Amino acid sequence: MSGFIKSTKEANQIVIIETDGYLNNEGGEAISAICYEKMSAGQNKFLINMAGTKVVNSIGVSILIEIIEKLQEVDGKIGYFNLAPIVSKTFNIMGLTKYSTVFATEEEAVSGL
Amino acid sequence: MMTKQFNINELQLKYLELETLLDITNELSSFDNVSVLLQEILIKSCAVLNASSGMILMQNENSDLFQIEAEFNIDVEALKGVVFNKKRGFFNEIYQQRKALHVQTVNDPFLTKTKCTYALIAPLLDKKELAGVIVLFDKESRFGISPFDESDTNMLSAIATQSGVAYNNIKLIENIKEAKTFNDNVMQSIVTGVFTTNLMGEINHVNRAAASIINLEREEVIGNHYEYVFESNEIINELISKCEIALETISESQIQIICNGKSTSVNISVSPLLNDQNEPIGSVVAMEDLSNLDKLKSTFKKYVSKQIVDQLLENDDMLNLGGQEQEATILFSDIRGFTSMSETMAPNEVVETLNEYFNLMIEIIFKYNGTLDKIIGDALMVIYGAPNSTDKDTENAVLTAIEMQEKLIEFNQQRIIYSKLPVTIGIGINRGKVISGNIGSRQQMNFTVIGDSVNLASRLCSVAKADEIIVSDAVWKQIKTNKVFKNRKLHPVKVKGKAKPIEIKEILYQRPAFNYDLAYTMIEEFLMNRLPKEYTYHTIHHIRDVVEQAERIAKKEKINKEDIADLKLAAWLHDVGYIWEPNRHEARGSEYATTVLNALDFPAQKINRITGMIMATKIPQSPKNILEQIICDADLDYLGREGYEEISLLLLQELRLKKEINETDWLKIQDQFLTKHSYFTKTSITTRNKLKSEVLDNIKSKIKNK
Repeated sequence: MSGFIKSTKEANQIVIIETDGYLNNEGGEAISAICYEKMSAGQNKFLINMAGTKVVNSIGVSILIEIIEKLQEVDGKIGYFNLAPIVSKTFNIMGLTKYSTVFATEEEAVSGL
Repeated sequence: MMTKQFNINELQLKYLELETLLDITNELSSFDNVSVLLQEILIKSCAVLNASSGMILMQNENSDLFQIEAEFNIDVEALKGVVFNKKRGFFNEIYQQRKALHVQTVNDPFLTKTKCTYALIAPLLDKKELAGVIVLFDKESRFGISPFDESDTNMLSAIATQSGVAYNNIKLIENIKEAKTFNDNVMQSIVTGVFTTNLMGEINHVNRAAASIINLEREEVIGNHYEYVFESNEIINELISKCEIALETISESQIQIICNGKSTSVNISVSPLLNDQNEPIGSVVAMEDLSNLDKLKSTFKKYVSKQIVDQLLENDDMLNLGGQEQEATILFSDIRGFTSMSETMAPNEVVETLNEYFNLMIEIIFKYNGTLDKIIGDALMVIYGAPNSTDKDTENAVLTAIEMQEKLIEFNQQRIIYSKLPVTIGIGINRGKVISGNIGSRQQMNFTVIGDSVNLASRLCSVAKADEIIVSDAVWKQIKTNKVFKNRKLHPVKVKGKAKPIEIKEILYQRPAFNYDLAYTMIEEFLMNRLPKEYTYHTIHHIRDVVEQAERIAKKEKINKEDIADLKLAAWLHDVGYIWEPNRHEARGSEYATTVLNALDFPAQKINRITGMIMATKIPQSPKNILEQIICDADLDYLGREGYEEISLLLLQELRLKKEINETDWLKIQDQFLTKHSYFTKTSITTRNKLKSEVLDNIKSKIKNK
């Protein structure tokens, strides 16, 4: 597990990934690696706990978009919770929230995804 | 399955850049801490420009060196030990050009230490000076890293410009805060009390010392008008008010202020507070607390006179260790027979006696500017003429000795009345060369004098008997022109350490005659303290009444003043025996009077007269002369005057302390007593018999009606 991925767990057949640090190219690739691995094992629902990620750049966002595209192929979904305001704003500007969902808490995310 | 294709377009990125710049602009003004500001700028810059990492270096205020103040996603360990000198590497170029530049890290002595490849560096300017740099590393893409482009440069330059402004503002605020904290710390740490008022007269600053002096919490003072805070200290209000009008410094020394119940002696100075246009904006009040100085003086004054304390405080050199030879007069005094006297006393009584005695003597010593050198057991050593000499030193020493002996007579009168042993002293005085100085260590030094002359003064004190003042020839030669002093030549004495006998003289002084008024006062005080508190009739009020009536009757009977004085003395003493033996109080009182009057040098031939008067008051009264008749009539004067009933009830109350007396018995006792009683003097017969008969008739009537 890379330094950026703090933990992964499953709940209600959803893979929950907890991140820590800069969601840039490196961070994005760490997320995509786990997602693609789980997808090949049949998982198609992912939640990212971004409590530890206060900074995100457009490359990190573009990798998330790549993941969304892949998930659409398997009728899957991705969502996020515990977002810092600046991260939430960046997701909005980059159009990410049109194709994935931002939740306030883990409980809300697990039940709402 | 159909899939949607998403791409991040240029418009979205530009939108993000603009939003980020706007955020930075909006947020910059909300920071009040440089470190937080720099970290925020760096993170946002990295995010918006897709930099993989970054850092901000700021110049050290005291050197040409820069240090990392914010870092993001960077291996700081790799840069550990790197000295960022503004004269080298990219710094040199950015210092010269004051604009953003692109660097390949491999070409820079500093950045090559990072594992990055490309760097975009923008200056953070403080006005036009280079205050720091923001460095972003390696622009990220989905295909790896790349150099930053022109658009990135413009963006970072814009962020850096905004950041420079915010940085300057924060630094300015921090400097103001630092200056304020510095000023506050200085103000709080100084021992002078300082407070300031604004144009409205409200106190807007008060330091700890001022709060302590005025005995109020700072919170209770701040915001209140000075006239309210100092409402009971008109002088402070007047000073501030004067300063506000005159716009000049006004001072007042050693004034006593009372704040919140605490009284403090202070020096006050009030100055106008001016702004940079020299316009008044309030007043600043400085108060110097003099209590510590007062304490210091008070401590010193236990050992030396006020004059010497003031000289010492004004002249530090006087405290130097070392010595000098000079002429001085030395007085020794010693209590005669103190050892045997103390053997008959309880330890606390010995200490109490010594303290009372020393307090009295030291007050006299300081009155004549003597320096108390030592208290050795019950002896005193006093110096005149050192450290500072005057032409009155020897005269002052002899005057001290005379007053000590005179005061001791009064002191002993009180002791005698209280049945305590009198204290008597001998005094020896010599004048001659001494070595004077502060002798001892830095931790403990004593001003003293040493030498043969000192030893001789001590020997003369040993020669002096009780009540005597013995002086050497050297002393007498200095004071003989002053006709106040009388002497009696004594045989030369042989003293230890001197081969030849020493010529000595006794200084004569008038031992005061028996002082009636002082004796009355002291006996009254003694009675007040010692008469049994449970007595309701034989109280100080009864005794005062007897004294008053005795004097009144004596004057009517044309008794001379001297006899009246004796009569009053007997009146004061007539019930003193109640203190020890109520049943034979007249006899016990007479014994006490004999002892005390003898000790007080009361003429021996008159002591029997006093005791005769005391004994005459014994019931049934048996006066043998007019004075005894008067005291007897005075003792029972109340039998024939208004208020008999109230006084007789006080007597009944006292009698009931010994046995139960019912109302009927009491009427019978009064009937018997009044029937048997007769006044002796014409005055009392004339003025008291009528009312006494009415009282008796009334009592008889009551008995009849029972």
